Amino acid sequence: MPAGDGPLVSLTWQPVPGAPGALIYPLIRKIDVISSNSYVITTPEVILIVDPGGVPEQGEQLSRLIEACREEFDRPVFAFLTHSHVDHFIGIQSNAAFSVQKAVVFAVHHAGALALECGDRTVTQADILQQPLSPMKVGLRLFAPEREDHAGLPASLCFPNGAEITIVQDPAKADSPRLPHEQIRFGNGPALDLYHTPGHSPDSICLRIGNLLFVGDLLFAANPGVAGLTGWSQESLVRSLSGAERLVAERGVTQVCPGHGNVISAGDAARMFSRVRADAQSLSHIAELNRDRAVATAEYATDCMEQVNELFTIMAGRLAYVTYILDELGEAGMAEETAALISSDAIDELLEAFRDFAGEYQKISPSPVPLMLKAAQVMGKLERTFQRNELAGIIDPTLVRRAARLLADYITMLRGFTLPGERQVLDLVPVIEAIVTGLSLPLLSDEEILSGPDDEGAFSRILLSRIGSRPLLDEVECEVVTKDTPLLAWIDRDHFTDLLTYILEDLVGTGAGRIGIRIRKGEEGATITITGILAVTGARKPLTWRFLRGLAERAGGSLVVRQQDGLQSFEFTARAA
Amino acid sequence: MDIRTVHREGGTVLSVNGRIDTTAAPELDHAILQEIDQGNRKILLDFSGVPYISSGGLRVILATAKKLKNPGDKFGLCSLSPEVFKIMKLAGFTSIFSIYPDEGEALARW
Repeated sequence: MPAGDGPLVSLTWQPVPGAPGALIYPLIRKIDVISSNSYVITTPEVILIVDPGGVPEQGEQLSRLIEACREEFDRPVFAFLTHSHVDHFIGIQSNAAFSVQKAVVFAVHHAGALALECGDRTVTQADILQQPLSPMKVGLRLFAPEREDHAGLPASLCFPNGAEITIVQDPAKADSPRLPHEQIRFGNGPALDLYHTPGHSPDSICLRIGNLLFVGDLLFAANPGVAGLTGWSQESLVRSLSGAERLVAERGVTQVCPGHGNVISAGDAARMFSRVRADAQSLSHIAELNRDRAVATAEYATDCMEQVNELFTIMAGRLAYVTYILDELGEAGMAEETAALISSDAIDELLEAFRDFAGEYQKISPSPVPLMLKAAQVMGKLERTFQRNELAGIIDPTLVRRAARLLADYITMLRGFTLPGERQVLDLVPVIEAIVTGLSLPLLSDEEILSGPDDEGAFSRILLSRIGSRPLLDEVECEVVTKDTPLLAWIDRDHFTDLLTYILEDLVGTGAGRIGIRIRKGEEGATITITGILAVTGARKPLTWRFLRGLAERAGGSLVVRQQDGLQSFEFTARAA
Repeated sequence: MDIRTVHREGGTVLSVNGRIDTTAAPELDHAILQEIDQGNRKILLDFSGVPYISSGGLRVILATAKKLKNPGDKFGLCSLSPEVFKIMKLAGFTSIFSIYPDEGEALARW
């Protein structure tokens, strides 16, 4: 058995530091959204479970542990929830050992108790995680309003499982920076201190026994895909994080036991509380993360990943092309440096990891949450792997810019912020002509090359850019036709530029040698029709069209995609001004 | 992914079926190398069964182009899906080697 003063070890009984006679058995899981960690604590008087978790196997593991403890000598069992989200308790709902109401008393903050007893699918997140939920009986309501009137006075409570406890609530002090606090004593054993720490959810609590602090999901409450969940509160979270940081400093806490992931030292936890608080303070006015938004975000994640896949493969391919040419020119050193700008193996692995995850996970769970979080993880890693500034000097900056914008837009959407954009009245004809011109000219003109500095570094940059950046419309005849000038419409310039670039790229990429752009004013507004005859035909990915339709909406209009007899057309309509 | 190799009069055709991802790219590389090692220096990759190519796959193709550039050597791709053609085109590969609509046309031109 570990000594008790070192870091807690998963799946092992060990002493609870600072609580003589108490033992703890942590069940630490690999981090996921399906199930929390669980912790079992025994004293001579009681068996405590902190968060039974969200999967039945974990519930069975717990019931075997409890049975063994009770065989040793029988004691009452209490299951405390750090909050009433399904990933912290749903795993025991079908477990007979827990369903016998007299055997285990559930202890939950009174707000969570209300949700559990009526089977509230929104507050418990059963809805967003697509979990079945039955109403649950809560035997011990924590921070119950009826005890506020007797704050400071210990109350004795008896339970059907034979337990007798003493519970006392601290008197509420207006404007106190301290967390609302209740203390429970099970006979003569060590005290269990409870602190109300809302923010992640209204019913979130932290528990302290000896020098261990159990914090539930407090440390993740500002994470993308977690912040904004129904019941989330920025103001409460910031206050709770400050209170928890103070607790760690003032109450002799040596280890912090989170709801997900490894146990952390008090020092690391203090730094994390501080960092999470700073993150939380930046999250003003984020949208609620409910089931509808989760579904929309997961759909956007799928569409974005499709484009990310294509853009990163093209960028990596373009860089491989540059390397190939440099090798041919005998510039092996420069070729090596250039190849290092994109770690294409790492990118391939990340993209495939997402594809595999999406395929596998969708078979076993209808919840949109894991997919949207996996996409965020992959996009975050992709963002760290590519050196956009260096790349933009070599390959087409439009590729790099759109890849960067996709990654940034997804994280923005996931965090619950509105995607940046500003619709303004613009004359479409010069806007489109400028985009087409930009895609027809090389990154550096002949004049710029000839008048460039003579040093070797400058020459290398010019050479790389000349090889790597090929104007998209270089070999394509692209004609802009309109009779209606000026044609004013409400559009978002950046998103419209991206949209037109994606469309032109799609046409060029499927071999269209000639592209027509017709701009006209119709009854429904300003319409731009982009058409090309495809050299390569075949079934196309519907996700690309869905992505483009979403992008058209953000650009300020709508998009209709048609393909017939080798002719591909995109019709974008925006509100005329 | 699986690869079927057929030796035609005009060259060796490797018909690839499946995604060319990180696992499949080295297999493709190996299959091509085997042919080149046996002295078959007119290689046509039939991609009619390839719905996806990773950057690892693109590197294999470039490496092959590099190996098959002696006088008399031939290297090309045929029957690309729109998605794979788009990647090849936008990555700039179409200026290094030829892409043909189908096997017949490729071998006829060789």
